[in-house]
Order: sequence, then structure tokens, then C-alpha cells
Amino acid sequence: MNNIWGDMAQYDPVTWNWVIAVYLFMAGLSAGSVLIGIGMRWYSKDKLTESPILKAAAIIGPVAISLGLACLVFDLTKPFHFWVILVNYNFQSVMALGVLALLVYTPLGIAYGLIVLRDELPKWGLGFLSPVAEMLTGWRKAIEVVLFVLAVGVGAYTGFLISAMNAYPMLNTAVLPALFLVSGLSAGAAANSVVALLMFKVDSHDKELSRMHALELPVMATEIMFLFMLFCALYFKGGAAAVALASLTTGVWAGVFWIGVVGIGFGVPLLSMLMPAATRHTKGAMLMVACSGLTGVLALRHFILYAGQSYIY
Amino acid sequence: MNKRYVMVHDENKCIGCQACNVACRSENGTPEGVTRLQVRVEGPFGQAPNLHFKYHRVSCQQCEDAPCVKVCPTGAAYVGEDGIVTIKEDKCVGCMYCVAACPYKVRFVNPETKATDKCNFCKDTRLARGELPACVTVCPTDALTFGDANEPDSEVAKLLNTKPSYQDKIHLGTKPRIYRIPTKRGGIES
Ligand code: SF4
Ligand code: SF4
Ligand code: SF4
Repeated sequence: MNNIWGDMAQYDPVTWNWVIAVYLFMAGLSAGSVLIGIGMRWYSKDKLTESPILKAAAIIGPVAISLGLACLVFDLTKPFHFWVILVNYNFQSVMALGVLALLVYTPLGIAYGLIVLRDELPKWGLGFLSPVAEMLTGWRKAIEVVLFVLAVGVGAYTGFLISAMNAYPMLNTAVLPALFLVSGLSAGAAANSVVALLMFKVDSHDKELSRMHALELPVMATEIMFLFMLFCALYFKGGAAAVALASLTTGVWAGVFWIGVVGIGFGVPLLSMLMPAATRHTKGAMLMVACSGLTGVLALRHFILYAGQSYIY
Repeated sequence: MNKRYVMVHDENKCIGCQACNVACRSENGTPEGVTRLQVRVEGPFGQAPNLHFKYHRVSCQQCEDAPCVKVCPTGAAYVGEDGIVTIKEDKCVGCMYCVAACPYKVRFVNPETKATDKCNFCKDTRLARGELPACVTVCPTDALTFGDANEPDSEVAKLLNTKPSYQDKIHLGTKPRIYRIPTKRGGIES
């Protein structure tokens, strides 16, 4: 404190830190994984066996959102008052709408997980849950549809949450929810393949797995396009918004963007496509590509959150 | 809601002495390390020997269209009967959405209550007793004027009708209720 008006610490424009970035990542990952799992089931002809990808999604969906919510709650200044947010709703607030969606999405995700993994439960010593899974199975179709719709909501919501603030030019744009939804899809696909390969021992030449991989390129292209749109919007808005583009060339977040998002997140998966098919389809290569995809999405959430908050109108 | 409390800060009269800052702390019991109000001395501007400073009051702008109220999930941040933007301490969970959303960056977490806090025009303290806000009362140069702008005879209404004034960041559509009378030498900026 060396100016006469006092301490400046409370005026730091970066309010939400990495814990929130992890929450945004987890929520997007959960939604993306569920969307891909259910989407592929609808698309596939075989509706009787649970594919390893759907099983992976049935685990990732509820686990990721629960971890994300734990981050959110412990980041509150009053974590033990979190119930206050569950009983008071301001319907103008994006966060309140998100809480409502998550309040239905999370238990439904768990219920759906039980249905899909009903044959696995006894193997994992969770046999006592089997009757619950049996009971829920009759509701499968309804749960699946509602869960899918809510997953779209949750995936986009993470973007709406931070785009609803007109203080920050980089966050206050309409593409953010779309960008977060697609990057959630790519994280979901990556995580699904990791879990399917490691936990459900799926063969790396599996048909479903390659079908999911075929999705990855268009998803990534859309993601790149949305990012490009975001930066163009800032450029053409000019003034304080255009100043925010400096985050691409200066400071630690520029590094996170070019190395994390572009290099690891887009570069590694794209370059891997140049590998001979035999190498590309080995388990090791697939895991590496999936992990770099996940790293890229995590880096993107950090970049957007920190760089976004660093520039204020 | 037919009251429209506003505050006018005359940057010509202000000398940046921080008497308002100190008075606000003691009136509202603001804990160490955080503050509801600062008057930042910016500058010097211009060419020597005609240098001048700008006195920039940083406090809640009491936005008529307040982003902090819109984003608060629980309704802890709300607009009272009197139009003043305040916080219900026990409804605040400390999600910091309002802190992030405030374009003027004047919200903070009170280290004692763990709820968010900011200037509320001394609503619970001096206004409740029918007195003027602490910062207004204590200002040695009478740079601050406070009152109901809907009252045509009020001092603030007269002041706003006779002198040029500006508000910060009006392009964001928040309709701040802190008006500033610019230094003659300083020109208008926001
Ligand atoms: S200045 Fe900030 S804290 Fe005050 S009413 Fe406006 S948005 Fe809310
Ligand atoms: S920190 Fe408190 S007042 Fe601010 S938005 Fe969250 S609950 Fe509302
Ligand atoms: S009106 Fe009251 S709370 Fe607001 S700055 Fe002045 S003294 Fe502080």
C-alpha cells in the first residue's frame, strides 16, 4: 500500500480463478461425453449390447459433473451455505438457471449410468445397486431423451455463465456458449476413448471407436471456426474489445493459448492423422491423442477465463 | 420506487484528501484491507507549469440497471424499495458472480461476513437515521452532494440542471447514479 487511497488488492479484475476453469472444463466434459455416448447409441443399429463408448460415457458423465460441482462449492466463500443457492432462485441469473438444470442433470446422469452399467455393478462389488438399476431400466427411453436435452443445456450453459457479463469484451460474445459446447464435445470424445480403451478393454480397431474418431475432425474444425469468430468479433468491435486481442501475443495466457490450445489441443491430433494407419490405431497412439485433446480443452477454459477477465471495458 | 437517490462528485472541488474514504470506513465498520470507496488521484495531466490532476471516485455506481443484481443467483444482491442496490448478507453464498460482473470492479468480499460488500449510500447506517451519507458530510470542500434527483427542488437536481456532468462507462447501459462534474481543465472522459 503506497498510494494515499489505500490497498488495491480488491480491484484485481480476475475474480474467478483456475478452480472455476476446472469446473467449466468438467461440466463441458460431462455434457460432451454424455451427448456422444447417447448420440452414438441412437445412431447405432445394435441397441441390445451396451457399447464400451456408452459405458465410458455412463461413468464420465456423472463423475465429471460431480467433481466439477465439488470445485464450485468449495470455491464459494461460504461453502457450507451452498444450500442457500438451492432454495433461492433469481430467474434473471444464468447461474440460477444452471443450478436448476444441474439439479436434474446430475441425478439423471447417475440413474442413466446405473442402467447402462447394470451388468458391471456386481463385478465392481456394487451388486446392491442392481435392483435400483433394474427398476430404472423401464424408464430408459425417457431418461435418455431428457438427459440428452439437459446435456446440451449444461454444455452451453458453461459458456452462457461467463458470457452474461458485459464487463469483459472477450467473454461478452454470443459465440462463447457455442464454442464451449463444441469443445466440450471434443473433450467428451477424448475422455470416452480413454475410458473405453483402459477400463472396457475395447479393441483399438473397434467400429464404434473409429466412428467416434471420424466425428473428431469436424468437431475440431467447428471449434477452430468458433475461436476464429470470437477473435474477429473482438477485432471488428474495436476499442477496448480489440485491445483484448493482445492476450494472443503477450503474457502467460498467450503461451497457454498457442502451446496448450493450438499446439497440444489441435496440433497433436491433426499431426497424428499423418501417421501411418497401423501406428495411428495402436492403443498407445490413441491414448496420447486423446490426452492431448483433453489438455487442449482444459487449456482453452483457462485461457478464456483468465484472458477474458484481464481485459475490461 | 419514486425516489432516485444520486450522488454528485464535483471533481473541481475535490482535493483527493481521502476524508470520505476514512469516514466511510469508520461509519460502516469496513474491515482492514478492503474498502467501499477510494478517490484515486490520477495524473498529472497537461504541460508544466499548467499541470492538473484528476480525482476519480471509485465506489459502487448504484446502477439503475445493475449487472450485479441480474447475475446474482440467489437474489442476495437486490434493489430495495428506495432504489438502492444492496446485499442481503445471509442470502449471499459468495459465488463471486457479482464481483466478476460489476463493470466498475467495486465489489469485494467482506473478510468478516464472507458475503460481498460495497457502498450502499449508507443505507443501513446514516440514511436509516435520516442523515446524509458519511462521505458527503465529512468532505471538507463540499465536493459531494447527495439526494433525491426526482425531487425538483433538491440540491442534486439543481446541480445536475446547472452544471455539465458525466457518468462512468455509460456505453454499458448500466445507468450509473454517480454523476461527476468534470474539472474545467480536464475535459470530459468516461
Ligand atoms: S457499480 Fe457494480 S456493484 Fe454497484 S450497482 Fe453497479 S454493478 Fe452493482
Ligand atoms: S457473491 Fe453473493 S451477492 Fe454476489 S452473486 Fe453470489 S450470492 Fe449474489
Ligand atoms: S455513501 Fe456511505 S457507504 Fe457509500 S461511499 Fe459514502 S460513506 Fe461509504
